[in-house]
Amino acid sequence: MRVRKGELKAFDSGAYTATVQVAGSLSVWLSGVPVARNIPAGEMVPGRKCALIFFDDANPDDAVLVAVYT
Amino acid sequence: MRQLTDSLLAAQKNASAVPYVQVRIRSRIGNVARLAWERLYSGGESDYFHAATMPGEGSLVRARIDPSAGRLYLQRVADPGPVSDFAAWSSFATVSAIAGIALAGSAAAVLLFYVDTDNVTIKLAESGDYGESFAAPVTVATASGAVGWLAAGLKSDGTAILLYSVGATVYRVKRSGGAWGSPAAWSNSLASVAGLACCYSIDFNVVVAGTAASGAGGVWTAIYGDGFNQPIDTWSGLAELSRADASSGVEFRAPSLDRADTYRMLFVEKFSGSQSYSRPFWTHVSTLGDFLTHTWREPVPFDFSSTYGVAMAHSSTAAWLSAPSGVWRAPFDTSVLDLSDDVLEVREEAAPFDGRVRIVLRNDNGRYRDLTSGSLSLIRRGSQVDVSPGYITSDGPAVSVGPRYWIDGWEYAGGAGKATFTLHAVGGWSLLERWRARREYAWAAGAATVFQLLSFLFARAGLELGCHSSSSTITSFRPSFAIHPGEDGRTAVRRLLETVPDVVAITGESGLAMNPLPDQEAGYAYDADHPIFSGRYGTGALDFNRVQVFGQGRMLDAFDWESIDDVYDRLRQVHDLNLTTAAQLQERVDALMRKAAMASLGSEITVPVNCGQELYDVVTVTDAAAGLSEACRRVLGISLHYSRAGASPVYQMRLRLGAV
Repeated sequence: MRVRKGELKAFDSGAYTATVQVAGSLSVWLSGVPVARNIPAGEMVPGRKCALIFFDDANPDDAVLVAVYT
Repeated sequence: MRQLTDSLLAAQKNASAVPYVQVRIRSRIGNVARLAWERLYSGGESDYFHAATMPGEGSLVRARIDPSAGRLYLQRVADPGPVSDFAAWSSFATVSAIAGIALAGSAAAVLLFYVDTDNVTIKLAESGDYGESFAAPVTVATASGAVGWLAAGLKSDGTAILLYSVGATVYRVKRSGGAWGSPAAWSNSLASVAGLACCYSIDFNVVVAGTAASGAGGVWTAIYGDGFNQPIDTWSGLAELSRADASSGVEFRAPSLDRADTYRMLFVEKFSGSQSYSRPFWTHVSTLGDFLTHTWREPVPFDFSSTYGVAMAHSSTAAWLSAPSGVWRAPFDTSVLDLSDDVLEVREEAAPFDGRVRIVLRNDNGRYRDLTSGSLSLIRRGSQVDVSPGYITSDGPAVSVGPRYWIDGWEYAGGAGKATFTLHAVGGWSLLERWRARREYAWAAGAATVFQLLSFLFARAGLELGCHSSSSTITSFRPSFAIHPGEDGRTAVRRLLETVPDVVAITGESGLAMNPLPDQEAGYAYDADHPIFSGRYGTGALDFNRVQVFGQGRMLDAFDWESIDDVYDRLRQVHDLNLTTAAQLQERVDALMRKAAMASLGSEITVPVNCGQELYDVVTVTDAAAGLSEACRRVLGISLHYSRAGASPVYQMRLRLGAV
């Protein structure tokens, strides 16, 4: 399990998933990252920093965005 | 195991055989020539549309557009070299100031394409004397709108294609039998085109830069078929080489493509954020790869700033790069430095996911003091070291071509009347380890098989990946998979290999995926004919004898009851949401138990060097004192030691053995 930081690029409030620029990736974003349901949709503002937990570091489907912060 | 000649096989079983270790250095990485670029010209020409080609006799033909006047300038340097005048241009025509140009050469023919001042009429000026003179221009096509980029490919029989972009559409016009056909749009789709490149080699191989419908920038390859890898006169789909998401501030443009020793490509990566840059990057396919296999190594930045990139061409002796304000040359260095006579000691280590060598050379007269000139200049960081074990046979010195390594560093040592020069070199696993993801790589479930993902990683590190008796899982399991920025290639490969029963051994410059089946036949015997100097035969418990694999809403476990009876249960749990079916869970359980079993017999033998021995080979061991008679074991580690430096010469191999 790894914790990584990133920057929120987009949020899909229907699927409750995010597109994130994982720190270190200058040009390519990771999309479809599940977002913790305890984070209000209104807080998912593009440009905010975020914290990601990868339960399986090799599987982006097995991850969750657990925090947004500025 | 590598195949050995009869004489070498006989020699390595002869107790009085004379050892021979061949050590050679080449200027290669991943067995692809490392090009040492030397800038021959720095001028003040504007960075704008340009092109270059080298027809058959080795002249360099360059063309550029001066954007201020819309003038097309041409230059031909008959015998290009360091003293050539690359500043002398001749005005050729007034042309479109917003469209590209293209050059293609083959034998004595040079084709120069440009767009007329109306921005839609594409003209061809053709030379039959290596670009010395050109016939009057003819119209090849009239575009439906303003032309953007041009590229051209020329076959030795005169068949040619011209590619041009109008907006986001690429068109091709083909010349067959001396007559140009009608333009036709390609069958692919992009949102914009920011560069085209083409070269002919068995098919018309094409590179496109631009943006996809999603807004993501990219560099893609495609093939316009000549009937080899792609049916004649059809387009392949686009294969992505580089990508930048929309709004990332990164875009790609101005590719160039050439095939000298292998396919080589350059393109411009332009970043408009803070610390903006516009920089060419180069890449090439692996040594055995062709355009179709798409095995491009990680693009490497080139020390030049340009938004229109550099054009690539080659003669029989050198590769050339050209921009309006610059010319670079890199001779094809085929020289080989043979150090065999100076070798005092070799220590070579091969293990799963690791390989390295240390070579001690005599330096008693300071022969390795100066590495800056002559043949010794091949000794550079990164140079390839080919280490081949052998013997003096009845036919003379003979070797089995062994692993390749790449120089990591060296050291001088002296004292007590001795002087040595020691090379440290690392194998393919280290090339993988030193490849770091510079962006997020993610594949959705179903997008690529484990073998395709492994091939991608090996290619990015400059290595080939083949397969030998691979499992069905490695070519059918398509997991959701990611490589995060900063992660290394070896870690990613390890993760992938944990999902399949297969292992990968590196032979030469290539990885070889194989499924180590328990019924694999032995390929060599260590017995009275090939004696065992010493042996240590362990019987250990399995690291784990019970496995629980958790997939998507499912769990499957497996047990090794015999081991559990002995040591009680040792549990390993694996969680993988990629496993969605009972069959996939079963395959994972089997793979885990299989690999645990292979590692269970911690044995080791020391033997005279077997020149063909490779990792994961199956051998038989006969050692009466240990009660072993033709016992099958799998080679899980190899340490080769050769020394003629001390009082007692050594030439032996220590093999770490596991269960089959």
